[in-house]
Amino acid sequence: MSAVAEELASGGVRMALPLLLASSGELLSERAGVLNLSVEGMMLTGAFAGAVGAHQSGSAAVGVLTAIVAGLLFAALQALLSITLRADQIVTGITANALALGATTYGARLAFGDGAGAKSLPGLDPLAIPLLSDLPILGPALFEQTLLGYLAFAVAIALALGFSRRRTAGLAIDAVGEDALAADRSGLPVAFIRYGTVLLTGITAALAGAHLALSEVHAFSDNITGGIGYLAVVAVIAGRWRAWPTLLACLVFGLAQSLQFAAPAIGLHISAPLLTTLPYVFALLAVSGLVGRSRAPSGLTVPFVRAS
Amino acid sequence: MSAPTTTTSPPPESPPSAKPHPTPQPALRTRLHTLPRHPLTVALVAALCAAVVGMVLVVAAGAELGSAWQALEEGMFGSSYAVGSSLNSAAVLALIAAGFTVAHRAGLVNVGGEGQLCAGGTAAAAVGLVLPAQVPTAVGVPLVVLAGFLAGAAWASIAAWLKVKRGTSEVITTLLLNFIGIGMVSLAVHEEALLRQPVTSSETLPQSAPLPTGAQLPLIGDVESPATAVVVIAAVAVLATGIVLRHTALGLRLRAVGHSPAASARLGLPVGRLEGGGLAFAGGLAGIAGAALVATAPYVLAEHFSSGYGFAGLVVGLLARGSLTAVAAVSLLFGFLTSGGINLQLAAQVPASTVQIVQSLLVLFIAAAMLFTTRRPGSRS
Repeated sequence: MSAVAEELASGGVRMALPLLLASSGELLSERAGVLNLSVEGMMLTGAFAGAVGAHQSGSAAVGVLTAIVAGLLFAALQALLSITLRADQIVTGITANALALGATTYGARLAFGDGAGAKSLPGLDPLAIPLLSDLPILGPALFEQTLLGYLAFAVAIALALGFSRRRTAGLAIDAVGEDALAADRSGLPVAFIRYGTVLLTGITAALAGAHLALSEVHAFSDNITGGIGYLAVVAVIAGRWRAWPTLLACLVFGLAQSLQFAAPAIGLHISAPLLTTLPYVFALLAVSGLVGRSRAPSGLTVPFVRAS
Repeated sequence: MSAPTTTTSPPPESPPSAKPHPTPQPALRTRLHTLPRHPLTVALVAALCAAVVGMVLVVAAGAELGSAWQALEEGMFGSSYAVGSSLNSAAVLALIAAGFTVAHRAGLVNVGGEGQLCAGGTAAAAVGLVLPAQVPTAVGVPLVVLAGFLAGAAWASIAAWLKVKRGTSEVITTLLLNFIGIGMVSLAVHEEALLRQPVTSSETLPQSAPLPTGAQLPLIGDVESPATAVVVIAAVAVLATGIVLRHTALGLRLRAVGHSPAASARLGLPVGRLEGGGLAFAGGLAGIAGAALVATAPYVLAEHFSSGYGFAGLVVGLLARGSLTAVAAVSLLFGFLTSGGINLQLAAQVPASTVQIVQSLLVLFIAAAMLFTTRRPGSRS
């Protein structure tokens, strides 16, 4: 029984980590009023660039760096479209995801040839923290991560604390997302803040993608993210645009995912599609106010123009 | 909305209606001046840019431009098979985009085409499979299509209800309902108690049994052409919505609600019902699209049967910016491009991702240039 619980916990954390990383950035940009549906594309770009970087240089660290650069470029494109050019955020988000899927699939052919993708890239190995990793159940789940895994926790917590609503920076972000016009009149740099949050999302999402490719499977395959980016957006919605509930949502989603692999071991028959759909039902209930109170930032997806 | 008893003067009406559009008829010079910003010019330039990128990608993949072009053209117009399958795709896109336009007229953004399509397809399969095997087409097909419409409308009504009663943004709820709809299809085809075909061996695919002949959409046109009645349904739907939106009081009311719900409410319009009805109708059309996908060869409900049509239809709807003519044109363009792209991969060994890249670049270019594009008179952005 405890073996199953251990497997469930470590599986849950493993699934939750990339989600957590991506949604910690996405939370900020949604609070600032930009609905980045392109997190999926940013993750995919990060995974691909990380794989190519590691493949070419032979070093996983270089891979992580190239992932960040690529994520930033992709996020800059999204920011340019949705902030400066005021293009529709839903269309550009969905289309940017399609672009990323096409471009990374095409790029993988050129970079790794027609074979089974990049086999055994130089990746990151898990580092067990002595003592802590010996804790029952949670020990192996939390303290046998790769360097990137620990970084993911650190980044998510740093962003949650650094931009909490009790800090000036966090308040500024909320102000821009609630009423960009009023924020602008009180002297806040609306475009700067929005660009900043979207670029930050690019970094965290790209790291999440690199984590998938470099510390989990040590390989890149087409569409390696498979919808995790969308799930990150949903986690933010289910977390009602607040940091800690979002973190909790990520963990719950991760557990739900890992339950579908662990369920047969304890003789439980739960349909896998049902489990993968649960997070979305949960988010729908949360956002519709049927479970607790929830309100999206008023300025979500509303572009800002100064001239009246 | 009833006018005060009209025995009195008709003239008071005329001063405001003398200027139907805020801008007077443009002179030729201003027309030439705005030519670079005309939607068609912008679309053309965007297509040109995307095509150039596509050519670079084709060459980089080691194929020849000439043979690639030939493959693309053959896949689009080369045979009646190509034209037929292009028309089918275009029809599905047009149904979703037409629905999107109706909801958009009422001020709602329906991101949920994919989920509504899934709901429609599932209901169509459920109804089609309980029909007796000998059901005549005249009964079976209307029932299946109706089931699709009702299920799609019901699916959208969840979002509509939340929007009207609780003020929850329909963008987010319809987006979430997409994923729930996709999950529902996959649940239905994985469980024998639901719609999965009887499992006889380990190789039984997770999909429904095929629909009876009477529930399958009839083919139209050429013997070799796979074009089905969905083309006719879509054409009628686009035409009818166009007429209703442009020439009826209902269309005007929807537009009024879209412009200002508060003002419309003060005029006595049933704002909630118009908004909710618009969204439900959008869902219904997407549901018909789902039913059509199920009732077309291979006549089964399977996971991923939607192939992303719901999202693509949303993109078509947004690019068309409220014009049903544009809905038809963009759907045809995308339908033919998709079908050409498949052949590009088969015949010229160009990666299918090339077409995906070109298509998404085309959309991104047009979306990016939206700010600089002149608005059509009478439409809101």
